[in-house]
Formats: sequence, structure tokens, C-alpha cells
Amino acid sequence: MAVLEVKDLATYYYLGSRELKAVDGVSFNIEAKRTLGLAGESGCGKTTTAYSIMRILAENGKIAGGSINLGGVELTDLTDEEMRMIRWKKASIVFQYAMNAFNPVLRIGNQIVEVIREKDNISEEAAIMIVSELFDEVGLKPERQMDYPHEFSGGMLQRAIIAQALACDPQLIIADEPVTALDVIVQNKILDLLRKLQDKYNLAVLFITHDLSVVAENCHDVGIMYAGNLVEVGTAAAVFKESLHPYSSKLIGAFPSVVGPKTKLEFIPGVPPNLMSLPTGCRFHPRCPFAKDICKDSVPEFREITPGHFAKCHFAGELDLGGK
Amino acid sequence: MKMTESDIILSVQNLKKWFSVRSGMFSFSREPSYVKAVDDVSFDVPRGGSIAIAGESGCGKTTLARTILRLIKPTAGAAYFEGQNIFDMNRLELGDLRLKMQLIFQNPFEVLDPRHTVVDLVGEGLVVHGLEESDEILYNNVIEALEDVRLIPGEQFARRYTHELSGGQLQRIAIARSLILEPELIIADEPVSMLDASIRTEVMNLMTELQREKDLTYIFITHDLAQARYIGDYLIIMYLGRIAEMGPMEDVIQDPQHPYTKALVSNIPIPDPTIERERIMLPGETPTPINLPPGCRFKPRCQEYGVHCKPEEPQLSEIAPGHWVACYFPDI
Repeated sequence: MAVLEVKDLATYYYLGSRELKAVDGVSFNIEAKRTLGLAGESGCGKTTTAYSIMRILAENGKIAGGSINLGGVELTDLTDEEMRMIRWKKASIVFQYAMNAFNPVLRIGNQIVEVIREKDNISEEAAIMIVSELFDEVGLKPERQMDYPHEFSGGMLQRAIIAQALACDPQLIIADEPVTALDVIVQNKILDLLRKLQDKYNLAVLFITHDLSVVAENCHDVGIMYAGNLVEVGTAAAVFKESLHPYSSKLIGAFPSVVGPKTKLEFIPGVPPNLMSLPTGCRFHPRCPFAKDICKDSVPEFREITPGHFAKCHFAGELDLGGK
Repeated sequence: MKMTESDIILSVQNLKKWFSVRSGMFSFSREPSYVKAVDDVSFDVPRGGSIAIAGESGCGKTTLARTILRLIKPTAGAAYFEGQNIFDMNRLELGDLRLKMQLIFQNPFEVLDPRHTVVDLVGEGLVVHGLEESDEILYNNVIEALEDVRLIPGEQFARRYTHELSGGQLQRIAIARSLILEPELIIADEPVSMLDASIRTEVMNLMTELQREKDLTYIFITHDLAQARYIGDYLIIMYLGRIAEMGPMEDVIQDPQHPYTKALVSNIPIPDPTIERERIMLPGETPTPINLPPGCRFKPRCQEYGVHCKPEEPQLSEIAPGHWVACYFPDI
């Protein structure tokens, strides 16, 4: 059974009397020991999806519909207080800017101890012991828990945050651009660490990033988002090699590579739509080279085209997207 | 092709930029220490070339660019633009240089004043340099520059403010601001790193096309080797203020020689889940270039460090035409 099941999730932001449909109809599952990479350009709703699951949305944001099931518990039914006990305990989140995640005037170890004691009723000594073990696990010297955040490098801080995320033994980790601010070599070390811990602790990981190269190398499954919709989801090999949605195929084609012959890259003309005034029908149709009348008139269904490979396009499976 | 003097638009020679660090109130008896951000860097930029300077954060690539532009003072060395040393120029000569050598920054949101319209922003350079003949000619020049960067029709964009434009459009306006001065050399510091993938490609393609149309020379600074490969034809890899390796783009990417370049290239993610590659992991993280160890500065992290390595700092040596490596290891 999947650890996380998201079905038809819709999250809107309310600006005065108007509503902004940041996430609209997103469905996916993640099983234990699997990583789903959720990718897309700025404003496509990938971070809002993550924040909806953790329920840490801005005040004017609200889950307007759909269900989020984590380990058999329906999160959308929980009160704020019940949800507070889910965070860190069942699901943790790792943010992009490691330097902002810790309070600069408190020792790092104490901040993690605080998290543990908040969720589990144990003594301070026991919590410190847990932090020492966690530090060892993520490749930090246990005595460094007495350090302040400024004494750590970017990579070390990211390791400390991963230690914190694991502190209460969660089932799901949401990693929101966890390595974007790091240099490539450090980036790969952190990703390797995350993968190792995932296997050891049976974690389901939701990995959010704008960088499809990182997704290709680190995720089992991939979901591509566009203007609040999940337009395609499937295994990494299927989405990259046999794309079903024109947007996924174009986006993948826009990434340069250091291997293979040097080719001219494609770009997608135009810009993503304003979420306050969405186009009718398929949200991608104004930029889609394959658009027909039906794309303008009716919203495509999110359908399973081949086993485990879904797409939200009227012509999914019929288009020649030049899959390699 | 034999390179003659006039083919070289910019020649950087033994450039150093050291920043002094004060370690505390009571340390004046000690020797001053320095962050050697740029430490003895030399390279030539051929006219019409597109040189990518790449490396991790703190390798000195941005300091190098800022020093060449004389935005900060060099500690030592020279940089000859068309034969004239930039660091010896007087105010007038510098004014001329600033027309021929333009800088494009990473974040167009920070560069462009939100209270000005596009026509003011793009025309600003001409006004500052006293080159506007009349308002009408200025306006026409701006329209032309906007259409050069494919903001067509230019009239539609001229009266807008920055908040009415997308990130990709803003970066194109930043490019138009440079182009209007008809520069010969453009130094672009991470010009597309802030942009989303689909727009990033559009701007990179535009820059490549403009290079051909306008006979431009580029120095392109980036942390992303995949981007560097896409836009550049020559690659310089920096590590802790020095050039580790430089050479024709494909030579360096396909067959890197310096152990650092090998590790860096092997760690660049590939947008293809079916390709498996061997990654070379380096121990530790890039240190700050203060109090560097004697000899090779890459030694503490080097996977190939051995008996060949001499105690002094390795110098660049040419292992193939135009391909230079600062390492004792490649025994060719």
C-alpha cells in the first residue's frame, strides 16, 4: 500500500474576492522506498502541493478539495492540533535554504532536541543521545551538535536538517529543492545520503525541484506540473523516454547535457498563464504546437495511457513527440 | 590558425585580487592574511570567441570578471583590452572602454529600476555617455535594440514598467541595454541562472544568435557546465582562485585531464534517467582560499595525489593545442 495517496487535490489562494487556483486536480501515490520527483517551472504549484500535504500554507491559502491520505490517515479531516502531531512525526519537510531553517542564536543540537521532546515524551538526555546517533548517521561528528548554525557550511547544514527531519522516525519526507543552493559535488553527496537513509528507514520521498537533470538521476517516478495541473506522471524512464504530454517533452528538451552530441535546444514560446485568468480547456493549449479545437473547448481528463503512466492531454499516446 | 595580436580582444596576464582579512583586535603583530580570490590568472580571449568560466561558489569567477571590468582594484597583474592595459587607463579612456565592454548580471529584477519605463532603462547608457542626439533618435535606437532582442514590436514594450514583464523579457531588456551601446565584448555573469528552463533556453539561443549577428565576443560565467557547454566554445575551469584547466570546450568536457575537472564533470546531472555514469566523489568541501597549503591547492582533496606531485604550485602546461592543465599528473 502506498504511504502517501493524494487524490484530486485542489488548493486555492484567496486574494480579496478573487481566487487563485494554485493547485487544481493533482493525484499521485508514493510507496515506501520510492521517490517521486515533482517538477515544473516557477508558479506551477509544486511547492503549494507540498505545503498542502504538510498544511503549512499561507493564511489566505486553503485546501478546496480532494484528499490526502498518509499511512491510512486522512489528513484533510484533521484539526490543526492533530495535524501538528503529524508534522515531523509522520511527515517531515526539508527546505531549500538550509541557512534559514535554523535559528542562528541557538545551538543546532538543542533545536533538534526541542523537536524530539515536543513530539515524543522522553528525557533531555535520551533526546541528546538520539541527536548524536542521527548526526553520526548523516555524516556529522556528534560533538558538533553544540555548534551554532554559522559554524556549519552549506552542505553540513543540509545534513543537519536531514537529521532533524529523521528525528521522529517519519514515513514521508518532503524535500523542497533540497540541494538547489549547493554546488554539484556537495549536491550529489547530500542526494546519496538521502537515498541511503531512504532505504534504511523505508521512507517515501516527495522530491520537489525545477531541475529535471536532478530528477532524472535521483527519482524513481516523475510528475510534471504545469499551471496548477499535474500533466503527466509515471516512472522516470517512461516520462523521459516516452513522454505523453507535449509540455513534458518540451520541458525535458530544454535541458542541456554534458554528454552526447551538442544539439540545439528547444524552448517553449510564450509564458505560463496567469493563474487568475486561466485559458479555457487545456491550460497548455495556447503554447502547444499540437493544439486543436477540442483543446480550447474542453478540459482533458487525467487518464492512464499505459500501466502506471498517466497524462492529462486529449491526444496522449497519439502524438509523435520524438521520444528517444 | 595562427593567432595574431589583433585577433586577441582581451588578454589577462598574471591577474591577482587578494582581499585582506583582519582576524581580530589583538592580532596586529601577526602576518596579515589574505583571501586569494583570484591568484595569478592568465588567459586570452580571441575576438568573436565565446569563453565560459566555470567553477564552484568561491572559486573566484565573479571576482575575476569584476576586476577585469575595473569595478574593483586588482592586487597585481594586467588586462589588455585591444592592446591597452585596463588598469592604466585614465577616466576618459575608461569611459570609452565601458562602451566597448558590457556586463550582464544574474538577476534582472535587481538591475532594472522599477520606477523607470523600458525606454528609459534601455536608453540610459546612451544618455550617461552623452551619445543621445535627440529624443527622437534615442527612441528609435531603443526600439531597434528591443527588436534586436526579439521584443517585437518594440513600441509595445517601450512604455511598460518592469512589473509588467516576465523574467525572460526582463533579462532580454538587460541585454538590450548593453547592445544599444554597440559593445565588442560582453561579460555575462550567470545570465540565465535565475530563469526557468524553457525561458533559459530561449535567452541562451538569443545570445548565440546575437553573437553571430553583431560580431560579439562573450565571457560567460557560470556554475553549470551543461550551460557552459551549450553557449561556449572554450572553457576555463577555476579552483580556489586559479585556473585548473582550460581548453576547447569539447576537449575539456569529453576528456578532462585535471582531477578536479574530472570530478566536476562526472557530477553534473544528466537529463536522462537511462544513462548510468561513474561519479568521482571528492572528500570534504571547497575550502576558503585563506592560508592555502603550500604546493598544489587541490592536494587535500585530490584522488590522484602521488609521488609525481612536486612541492611547488603546478603551472599550466599545454598538453594539446590550446588545452592547458595545471597538474603534475598528466604525463604527456
